[in-house]
Amino acid sequence: MKQQIIADMLTALCRITGISGDETNIAMVALEFLKFYCPDARISHGNVIGTCGSSDPDAPHVLLDAHIDQIGMIVTSITDDGFVTVGNVGGIDRRLLPAQRVHLHGSRVIDGVVCAMPPHLSDGDEKVPKFEDIRIDTGFSAEELRQIISPGDSVTFAGNIARLLGDRFTSPALDDRCGVAAILSALHSVKDEELPCRVTVLFSTQEEVGERGAKIGCFAANPDIALAVDVSFARNLGDSETKTGKMGEGPMIGYSPSLSKSVSKTLSCIADEVQIPWQYEVMAGTTGTNADQFSVCREGVKACTVSIPLRYMHTPAEIISLRDVMLTGELLAAYLRRCKG
Amino acid sequence: MKYLKDLCQLCGISGDEDAVRAYLTERIAALPDILEMRTDALGNLLVHKKGAAEPKHTLMLGAHMDEVGLIVTGIRSDGTLSLAAVGGVDADVVLGRNVMVGEKKLPGVIGSTPIHLLSGSARDEKPKMDALYADIGAKDADEAKQYVSPGDSIYFMGEFTELGGGRVSSKAIDDRFGCAVLLELLESELPFDMWFGFFVQEEVGLRGSRTAAYAINPDFAVILEATTAADLDGVTGDAAVCRLGGGPVVSFMDRSTIYDKELYAMAFKEAQELGIPCQTKSRIAGGNDAGAVHVSREGVRTLAISVPCRCLHSPSCVAQMSDMEQCMQLTKIMMEKIAEL
Repeated sequence: MKQQIIADMLTALCRITGISGDETNIAMVALEFLKFYCPDARISHGNVIGTCGSSDPDAPHVLLDAHIDQIGMIVTSITDDGFVTVGNVGGIDRRLLPAQRVHLHGSRVIDGVVCAMPPHLSDGDEKVPKFEDIRIDTGFSAEELRQIISPGDSVTFAGNIARLLGDRFTSPALDDRCGVAAILSALHSVKDEELPCRVTVLFSTQEEVGERGAKIGCFAANPDIALAVDVSFARNLGDSETKTGKMGEGPMIGYSPSLSKSVSKTLSCIADEVQIPWQYEVMAGTTGTNADQFSVCREGVKACTVSIPLRYMHTPAEIISLRDVMLTGELLAAYLRRCKG
Repeated sequence: MKYLKDLCQLCGISGDEDAVRAYLTERIAALPDILEMRTDALGNLLVHKKGAAEPKHTLMLGAHMDEVGLIVTGIRSDGTLSLAAVGGVDADVVLGRNVMVGEKKLPGVIGSTPIHLLSGSARDEKPKMDALYADIGAKDADEAKQYVSPGDSIYFMGEFTELGGGRVSSKAIDDRFGCAVLLELLESELPFDMWFGFFVQEEVGLRGSRTAAYAINPDFAVILEATTAADLDGVTGDAAVCRLGGGPVVSFMDRSTIYDKELYAMAFKEAQELGIPCQTKSRIAGGNDAGAVHVSREGVRTLAISVPCRCLHSPSCVAQMSDMEQCMQLTKIMMEKIAEL
């Protein structure tokens, strides 16, 4: 798939918000994309699930997964002075909250700004605010707000969706909409081919709060092999070389005690064979991805991670390389073509 | 405040006010009764407009064109850009934000180490500006150098948005608000001849207003500004400094000026006669161009009329339209009253 098509697809996927537990809108968009390749695609318990590939019940069954939820905040109360209190949904970096522009998804979407003390009035050595001290200013009075916003409503970060230099792309929620795009790109590559394996595609909910959609989605699909296509850390100057990958140099293939070594090695061999650049992502235990749920699903599933290097994870300004998304799609397609069990 | 949105969305950090000056110059050049309009060596725009009568005293209205932002200090080996704050900018209001870089306004983001790779205690420490950098998507230093040079400006991306309760949020309300008031007053018929100073470099030490005040040599000056409001949830009494919706802020003293006592008292009296609210700051904080103007030459009798503004010096300043309009009303009446002194 061409980079511009991937960019367009990412724009469509990132424009729609869906924090963990509130994925209906993004699920509908992901479902429409998936239906091109999996006519049976449907929404089941929030997850988007579809199948394609071999109809032979003895063929190996591969699950391709990417999560559709994103981090955000959730309204906990409205104060008498008309400020909104919130809790975190997923791993929010509290350091970047002050003066952050947000959208509150009530009976309609309204804008807000996270309250901050300006430098003129701060003494310079304050700690990062705790979540219980975060307040959102919407301009509305408490009475007006209660007509629009209720506890439990989602709060998302405003952010810019844009192409940067070269093949770089920025948006909120690239974690893990770029995984969704990579899987769709792979399905596009193999759409007219006979595959040696059965394929289930899972666009899962609630990864950011503990991989919950993956847990039930994998149980339902009951695959032999499951690949979690997610993001990992792209290196910036000074970052640990062992914890980060290089942006633009291809997918990172997971190696970890909790992953299937045979799948890791097969993915690496196939990448070498079809000359797709790839990188090691070595983790010493669990992976912090949906693969942690897949491996221990039912009687056990051979799980692996395929990660797209991403900068500034969990900020509203994440960056990925479109080439990495494209190469990840190519690796997944090559794997499906060769997955004979 | 018909020019507020346009002016706020222009990009002009200190020392780089050309776009703002060009916008103002174009509009002022089309107005009748302009006796003189010139740009001085620093870039201040000085405008003399004819009014109905000859004034007893020379009066200057002033506002600054520059906004806070960041400046590229170097290009790092990985293609990211090291940066420094221009004016008082806290690192936490730029971390993870979208920015525009250089004359071409290339889209970029402000990055730092993601929270996942920080130790527990570091997650609770406010970020430091020297740990941040800008990322325009360049794959290496060579690519970055084709687009960016040290000294290039980095502008906030802070869309102009309407909030509830007649409030707006945008970057650069400090002090495009003041520019917007001056421009509207220039369009009106004046009671007597007056000078208007659109200043550069307020945010880096009240530098433009110093030479402008010298050149114009006024007897009286009124500075239009945005000042810091801390009327956040749970902030009580004097700690709020000033309040949104409380009308124009007229200070008796801030960190750069002890204001003319007669003008100070007059402002409150005139506001009362107009039937508009007027407030003073309950803490001695901040400063503005009055600091340079009131000590110009043999001294200038100076007043500042400010709009209260939350999240000042961030991409998401929050201010109330009614306060702005009342600042304009108060400025008009003060012009006339000062002429009678």
